[in-house]
Amino acid sequence: MSEQFSRRDFLKLAGLGAATTAVLTGCGPASRYVKREPYMEMPEYTATGQSTYYATTCRECAAGCGLVVRTHQGRAIKTEGNANHPLNLGKTCARGQASLQGLYNPDRVTDPIKAGSPLPMDWDAAIQVVADALKNNKPEEVAFLMGMAPDHLFDLVSDLAKETGMNAPIRFGALGMFEARATLSQAAGNLFGEAGLPYFDVGGAQVVLSFGANFLETWLSPVSYTRGFTGLREAQTKQRGTLVQFEARMSATGGKADEWIPLRPGTEALVALAIGKLAAEIKGGAMPRAFAGVDVLDAASKSGIKLETLEHIAGMFANSAGALAIPGGAALGQSNGLEVAEAVLALNALADNFGKPGGMSISALAPDQTEYHRPASAKEMQDFIQKMAGGKFKVLFVHGVNPFFELPNSLGFHSASKNVAQLISFSTFRDETAREANYVFPDHHGLEAWGYQRVATGAMQPVLSGAQPVVSPFYNTRATADVMIAAAQLAGGSFAQALPYADEVEFLQTKVASLLGEADGSFSAPNPQTFMAYFQQYGGWWRNMDGRVAPSASGALNRSIKGDMAEFAGEGEFFFIPFVSPTLAEAGANKPWLQELPDPTTTVMWNTWLEMNPETAHELHIENDDVVRVVSDAGALELPVYVYPAIRPDTVAMPFGQGHTAYGRYAEGRGVNPNDLLGQHFNEAGDLAFAGMKVKIEKTGKKRPLSRLESIMGVYGEGLGEEH
Amino acid sequence: MADHKNHAEHAEAHLREKHLMLDPLPRGKMNEMVMESMTEKPTWKFWLVFAVLSVITAYGLFYSWGVMIAEGLGVAGVNRPAYWGIFLVNTVFWIGISHAGTFISAILRVFKAEFRRPFTRAAELMTTFGLVQAGFSIFMHMGRVWLSYWLMPYPNQRMLWPNFHSPLSWDLLAITTYLLSSTMYLFLPLIPDVAMARDRSTGWRKTFYKVLALGFRGTEGEWTHLRNAMNIFAFAIIPVMFSVHTIVSWDFAAAMRPGWNSTIFGPYFVVGALHSGMGAVIIVLAVIRSTMKHMKYFIRAEHFDAIGKLMLIISMTWAYFFFNDYMVQWYGGDKWTKQLFHFHEAGPLGWMWFAMLIFNVAIPWAILWNPKWRSTPWLVAVVGIFINIGMWFERYIIVPISLTINRMPFTWRLYEPGIEIPLGIGTLTFFILLYMAASKLIPLIPVWEVQEGQMAHELKKFGRETVVTVSELE
Amino acid sequence: MMATLSDLKISEVKLSGKEAGKWGMVIDQDICTGCQACVAACAMENNISFVGEEDAGYGRSMHWIRIERFWEGEYPEVKMTPNQPMMCQQCGQAPCEPVCPAFATVHSMAEELNLQVYNRCVGTRYCANNCPYQVRSFNWRDYERPEPLPNQLNPDVTVRRRGIMEKCTFCIQRIHRAQDQAKAEGREVVDGEFTTACAQACPASAITFGRTDDPASLVSQLMKRRSHGVKHLEELGTLPNVTYFKGG
Repeated sequence: MSEQFSRRDFLKLAGLGAATTAVLTGCGPASRYVKREPYMEMPEYTATGQSTYYATTCRECAAGCGLVVRTHQGRAIKTEGNANHPLNLGKTCARGQASLQGLYNPDRVTDPIKAGSPLPMDWDAAIQVVADALKNNKPEEVAFLMGMAPDHLFDLVSDLAKETGMNAPIRFGALGMFEARATLSQAAGNLFGEAGLPYFDVGGAQVVLSFGANFLETWLSPVSYTRGFTGLREAQTKQRGTLVQFEARMSATGGKADEWIPLRPGTEALVALAIGKLAAEIKGGAMPRAFAGVDVLDAASKSGIKLETLEHIAGMFANSAGALAIPGGAALGQSNGLEVAEAVLALNALADNFGKPGGMSISALAPDQTEYHRPASAKEMQDFIQKMAGGKFKVLFVHGVNPFFELPNSLGFHSASKNVAQLISFSTFRDETAREANYVFPDHHGLEAWGYQRVATGAMQPVLSGAQPVVSPFYNTRATADVMIAAAQLAGGSFAQALPYADEVEFLQTKVASLLGEADGSFSAPNPQTFMAYFQQYGGWWRNMDGRVAPSASGALNRSIKGDMAEFAGEGEFFFIPFVSPTLAEAGANKPWLQELPDPTTTVMWNTWLEMNPETAHELHIENDDVVRVVSDAGALELPVYVYPAIRPDTVAMPFGQGHTAYGRYAEGRGVNPNDLLGQHFNEAGDLAFAGMKVKIEKTGKKRPLSRLESIMGVYGEGLGEEH
Repeated sequence: MADHKNHAEHAEAHLREKHLMLDPLPRGKMNEMVMESMTEKPTWKFWLVFAVLSVITAYGLFYSWGVMIAEGLGVAGVNRPAYWGIFLVNTVFWIGISHAGTFISAILRVFKAEFRRPFTRAAELMTTFGLVQAGFSIFMHMGRVWLSYWLMPYPNQRMLWPNFHSPLSWDLLAITTYLLSSTMYLFLPLIPDVAMARDRSTGWRKTFYKVLALGFRGTEGEWTHLRNAMNIFAFAIIPVMFSVHTIVSWDFAAAMRPGWNSTIFGPYFVVGALHSGMGAVIIVLAVIRSTMKHMKYFIRAEHFDAIGKLMLIISMTWAYFFFNDYMVQWYGGDKWTKQLFHFHEAGPLGWMWFAMLIFNVAIPWAILWNPKWRSTPWLVAVVGIFINIGMWFERYIIVPISLTINRMPFTWRLYEPGIEIPLGIGTLTFFILLYMAASKLIPLIPVWEVQEGQMAHELKKFGRETVVTVSELE
Repeated sequence: MMATLSDLKISEVKLSGKEAGKWGMVIDQDICTGCQACVAACAMENNISFVGEEDAGYGRSMHWIRIERFWEGEYPEVKMTPNQPMMCQQCGQAPCEPVCPAFATVHSMAEELNLQVYNRCVGTRYCANNCPYQVRSFNWRDYERPEPLPNQLNPDVTVRRRGIMEKCTFCIQRIHRAQDQAKAEGREVVDGEFTTACAQACPASAITFGRTDDPASLVSQLMKRRSHGVKHLEELGTLPNVTYFKGG
């Protein structure tokens, strides 16, 4: 059937009856493009009343959860988890659920756009622009900035860059920045000699000490870690496990902890080492070098944790058969973040849990991978931006990331982008990058797109997760891979040689077919075509084996680890903790239902807030909804206060996710972005020390009511009148 | 001897001045007065007030309601958990107002309290017009008012009936019954007066009264029928009146909510209704006495004195029920009820709770105790205003404030009225408009009843008090 | 032919005094992380409107399921109470049912669930007042759903207009789809064959749905195995069909 001929039109025409059929056939303008024939076999997506289900991969974050999307009459109706997918086993987070609101978002880019031109471009012209950009510039003058997903496009561009001598694509994402992936993998490298993303088997553990890791929210692979948490709590064969959370501000993860220990920010390494020392004493034997240097009393007084508490936790840790320690979140985003990671990983070495159930290991690499590729750290981004500012790049392609929003203001991406002659965005949505770009060549939404994603962590098996369109593209968008392939062909020469494919699907098939014939696969097939079909049908391919690697414990404890306190930049009297909004994350703000999901800790909807301890608020004469000015050495923001009972009095915190100046009607002009407060401070691994600042709080005298789901009266007793 | 006679004459003059029943005028003259009060050309002030109220009604009631129908109830202030707001407050309030009419004309008629005679009509009009406003208020609050006919038990193809388990269904039936019967009861005593007006008017008025008078000529047979009918209605409407407000109270009492689920709500609401109703009657009497011609003859200090006594007694009864309701619920010790009571008194609208007690109890008790103050029309009217505000507060406390507190503290939330305010004001102005129109169209004084009383009166001594009675007549 | 009161069979179900309903849910608060996946899944499955910042903050959000959390103690000994997902408890003896004057809130004989008949609802909101769990949402406005967002609307679920009450249905459309499928295949519905949107999404598997009248079903097993389950406001005699496990 021709695409132009919809079912509705068919019914209309059919309604005219047999008598007129003869008249219509063979004449009139319609006959030139309408192939009129009855549905001998109904296309499956138009079978009335029948739903069709497609497996694909979630693109809301880079974790790579498998989805099954229910479609009905050619429309995507509902996303569910893919029950066979090893990463998420049929589960989804809120963002995955709401991804349809991205697909059918009213503020998508509908056509290729040239900035300043009121009319949309056609795709031939767009491809010509890309081809010219590739051809007419020196290879080193062309740069790609890409998001953490999808991997197939990254591979395609990497191939192109390798062949033509262009800069290798650089990947970045705010989630990766707040997860401090560089710190984690470098700590693993330092301690075990192999850099990789650590995997923590929370589900098998008995006692979990989490140093700031918000693993139930957005950290690395939240759906998988949440399943682990269920295992920790509810396993049938063992006792209910205990979670101890060390953090200055209670996260949603901390809210689930059995013990929540508000330590002074910056003392995480010290506390981890002190616990290590106490636990090693309990275990007996020689004191490992890693913990030898720490003074437990000093650690207790500096961190503000009682000595008895430390001893009690160390006792739990030492005496448990399934002890596990996790570093993450704000604990890593400090000047000594690398030491924190090392100290905490050393605790695992002390617990001797490497590679054991309930222990730590290095995440399984994807089936086609030999080493872990982490996204760029903030420090690397700084270098990249400096190159941009220095005019080194004539063309910058941006895909899958929104650097104008996701990067801290102080890194200067905005001003540096002025020195790039041609900024080309492939954004699906009208986001900040699309607004600033010279051209926007919109990619399909993730649910309309082909591709694959490597599962970096969270699954036991090596997983390559497959994506396929679940609906035909809704707008005049085109897959960026297709655009690049077409442009490379047009540019000719080495470009054409680098990407010798007819289209994206052929490229994917070439890549995926390389797995054909590998042993232990979730499926095998006689030929590449069948393999590809299964790959789509099952939503990916994985090895039926435990791909995790147990690091060698030998060296980990024999290194001395510094237990210095972190240094904090800025004049203010409050530690500042930005955290990723568990419901919005970096790109959820344009989905109205994600905006209307209450934050798990504060129940605030549609806005940004500053969390402040009740005692501090009382002292400063600040009440709920009072707008305050938060001043750091890099910037200032005004936002309303949420008086939060579970935060240290010397700390304030705010979520990241809002504060868009573009990105559609639901995101724009809503809340503020903590990135505006973050300075250029890094830890030793090059990750941003996002929690390494001190800020000042100034009152503004304004009020801005926050929309909460909870009742202030019922939950906090405010406004109920004096107590009896 | 002469002194004594003089003294007696003086006393009689005093009694004549005091009691309408002892101060007869010729029938023709009295009819003339009533006709004149009704037909006199309205002053510009009347038209100004009428115009202003019409504008407010058009905006507040009809336009605002239209907006709400088009936009949904979001333009009002109702929310979770206060799903009912001022709409229900006003419904209960207007039904309460409507109670005074029946109380005065039916109960006082049955008990032969002669002071009622000149103002039964004024009170009955309040019943009908108040119920109209109550109807507006209850229909307004419905999410899909265009389907409200589904609440009526009418035979239909799909055999769908209203749910007779629901207090709202009982409510609808009770209010409809009350509206119909009270309108009939308003109409019956009106017939002789309309017949009188028919005989004394020309032009369109004559046609109008001719239709309304149903050919009444004043024959003995007609009077007998009329008296019988009125007697039947007077007795029958009393239980209807009690049932209506009891059933209204069941909307709340039958629900399983802290603060609502109280067995005493039935009589408590009836007394509350009378409380606000009597207050409203006294305001209306004060207004028509001071604005309409000849009304000072018909409505005298004795009437304010008598109604004042009733108000005092009702205020005491109300206080008793309030205390009883409060005491028993408090003593029950349910934690949600305790929380709710604490919220009533100490919450953000705690002032309303105290104002309710001051307006409903303290002020009436302090003022109406004194016979002299009680006989001062404006002062009693002011007390009536306070009582009405106090009773409105009472309903506000029962509906949106009590809804704020429930068994799910996570959902507690204050109610902030929105379009309810113009809508509520609209019902008030519409009520006044109807009354103003009625004052120009039908005799506000049941002149035949006054004449009947004056003809057949007799003074009786009850204790030290001389009371006018016409008990021999019937 | 006119229906009589006895034809309407209003009270039989309630008077039977049967403790166990048919469909039930078990919620483990110890593992619920409060992540809101269930809330999002419910909204996507059931065509629930979003209402915007102002209405959402004024108690007008349309969530059919909400996650409650309170605080215990004061800093530093402060604790978040276990997250408590709250949705229609599908009471066996529901306070919402008798108060509706229009029979829009009725008890289903077949499913033993509380139904909300949207096209019969006239919007008196009495049911919501009388719901002790406060889990009913009212359509205060015709909430905007700009094009092309309506493309994702689930054809199995009615889209509600202003003036209508709505609430959790235990995804009755899924129950029916599974029953139809089973019937077509000439078999009974198998436990776990389908589940509600919230239970299906829940990453922690804190929500389990199934037949409580079938002792072999997972919900029954869970309720038996872990005897400390509570039903909220059970003392009111509502016979709720959702069981909560609070502690570990």
